[in-house]
Amino acid sequence: MSEKNYILEVKNLRVSYHTYAGEVKAVRGVSFELATGDALAIVGESGCGKSVTAKSIMGLIKAPQGEIKEDSEILYNGENILNYDKKQWQAYKGGECAIVFQDALASLNPTMRVGKQIMENLMVHKHMTKQEAAAEAVEMLRLVGIPEPEKRVKQYPHQFSGGMRQRVMIAIAFACDPKLLICDEPTTALDVTIQGQILDIIKDLQKKNNTSVIMITHDLGVVANVAKEIAVMYSGMIVERGLCEDIFYHPRHPYTWALIQSVPRLDLKNKQELSSIPGTPPDLLNPPVGCPFCTRCQYCMEICKEEMPERTDFGNGHTAACWLHHPMAPKVAMPELKGGAV
Amino acid sequence: MAKYLIRRFVELVVTIFLIATATFFLLEAVPGDPLSERADKLPVQSREALYARYGLDKPVMERYLLTMGRMCKGDFGESFVYAGQTVGGLVRDRLPVSARLGLQQMILGVSVGLLLGILAAMKRGTIADYMVVGFSVLLISIPHLIFGLMLQKIFAGTLHWFPTIGWPAGKDLWFGGWEATVLPTLTGCFSYIAMYARLLKTSMLDVINQDYVLTAESKGLSKGTIIRKHILRNSFIPVMTQLPMSVGMCITGSFFIESIYSIPGIGQYYVTAVNNQDLSIVLGETVLLSILYVVILFLTDILYVAVDPRIALPGSK
Repeated sequence: MSEKNYILEVKNLRVSYHTYAGEVKAVRGVSFELATGDALAIVGESGCGKSVTAKSIMGLIKAPQGEIKEDSEILYNGENILNYDKKQWQAYKGGECAIVFQDALASLNPTMRVGKQIMENLMVHKHMTKQEAAAEAVEMLRLVGIPEPEKRVKQYPHQFSGGMRQRVMIAIAFACDPKLLICDEPTTALDVTIQGQILDIIKDLQKKNNTSVIMITHDLGVVANVAKEIAVMYSGMIVERGLCEDIFYHPRHPYTWALIQSVPRLDLKNKQELSSIPGTPPDLLNPPVGCPFCTRCQYCMEICKEEMPERTDFGNGHTAACWLHHPMAPKVAMPELKGGAV
Repeated sequence: MAKYLIRRFVELVVTIFLIATATFFLLEAVPGDPLSERADKLPVQSREALYARYGLDKPVMERYLLTMGRMCKGDFGESFVYAGQTVGGLVRDRLPVSARLGLQQMILGVSVGLLLGILAAMKRGTIADYMVVGFSVLLISIPHLIFGLMLQKIFAGTLHWFPTIGWPAGKDLWFGGWEATVLPTLTGCFSYIAMYARLLKTSMLDVINQDYVLTAESKGLSKGTIIRKHILRNSFIPVMTQLPMSVGMCITGSFFIESIYSIPGIGQYYVTAVNNQDLSIVLGETVLLSILYVVILFLTDILYVAVDPRIALPGSK
């Protein structure tokens, strides 16, 4: 990839949680870059460290349980946010970078009017007066497509439907025109028709404000819709990343193959079973020394269990960490998709 | 709304009726009667006259109906033990004393308790937290009786900072004579401090882990704002369940304190009346205090609606 203007560069991010059972290494050396105005999707199954990565970028990892390891770097416009002082953090959170969580009902304060929850942002970051912020809150609700916003700002979250609540979350996130938006599974709790609407709103606002977006999801359908680039995460690491087309049409990592195959499809023949990935992800209390996917991988070789594979570059920013791409490895192609091509 | 209020009022009347009935028959079930001590030494005729004066010569059911009938008119009758003493007079003379003592304890105890609770929750896992928790367990485990005597001995006996016994009366009844009220108030407030510190801490720790606190943090709000606007209000809901009980307790629960410091309050008198089987006084006080409780519970229900918008009173939209 040529020299670009990166809004965000994550370098060797390692995050651990200290629990009674021991140290859970939730994120184990994640690196990626996000160009200004681009959208990156981080894909992976539950517990692979997606949300922890998101929380780290948002500065929401809390000591003493959570710990970002020392040599990790998160560069926002070239500056390491992990070295921010209190004031810089407060300006960064909500002003520069905003987040939309998965469960909007749990993420909105149940005892505070919706309008007020949007106004809070505006008053802190845009230094608006109460009246200005109240007017802006109405505008924000209108922008995310909530009917009768003048009436709705005075209501509480439990009076909204699921989709409407997620719109409110988006309104809160976009209120201060952030440069960077993190969406942590924003559509997982919603039904499919609403999912589409929510993604459209995010896409529209992204284009309008030239916002850079990190979309965290386990739903490949969402990715295809929104992102330009994909990073596939497994067991606290990025195992493959590249442009959308490359990942969908020329995936290189067996885990990505399995992920793509487990997407439910309309063109499957009758009664053909949905494929799933057998086994469970490794225990991050004692992460394996070799490739974390080796126990579930049907192409597993001796070396996979002993050593972590290097990244192989396939050009155009497409990389994968798998021993199969070592010159000495047997040549394996992605298995035929059941029922036809994607 | 009107329907709801009417229903609550009917419930209140039924509750009071049941309490009064239970109290009456429980006291009747106790062997002996309140007059026997006085009457035993009297000649038979005088004894009969005495029993007739208080209506104790009539059968139980008849007395029950008479008592309930008089109670409906607001007349609880005269004390069996102290001639001329009535419930109305007691409420006038003694209730304000107990109320001031209780309220002072509660206001001081609840506010200090809540502050310590916030401190413990915010500084979780630090020395401050352990101190608050340890202090609370200690305070909850030591009975009033011991605390009261200890404070009295040290601050009144040895140091002479405060009077040993007594309570302001006359024009100082509500706002004055503070030095006499310091020790009794301190004695009583400790249990409130312990209870509310622990209650609020638990509740706040629960709220701190909620997603909306994370949202508030991601907005870049200051820590103070997050605590005040997002954590505290949501943490107060369990605290509010406890408050009405405390208000009730604060009027009636100071028996030991009133005894230690010779405070002419209603708590002390209430217990004495039960010991003496002073039926009319016990019945009167019980009914008045139940009314207080039920009304406070009703007010709490309304307060819930004010704090938590998810709760609505039946009949309102």
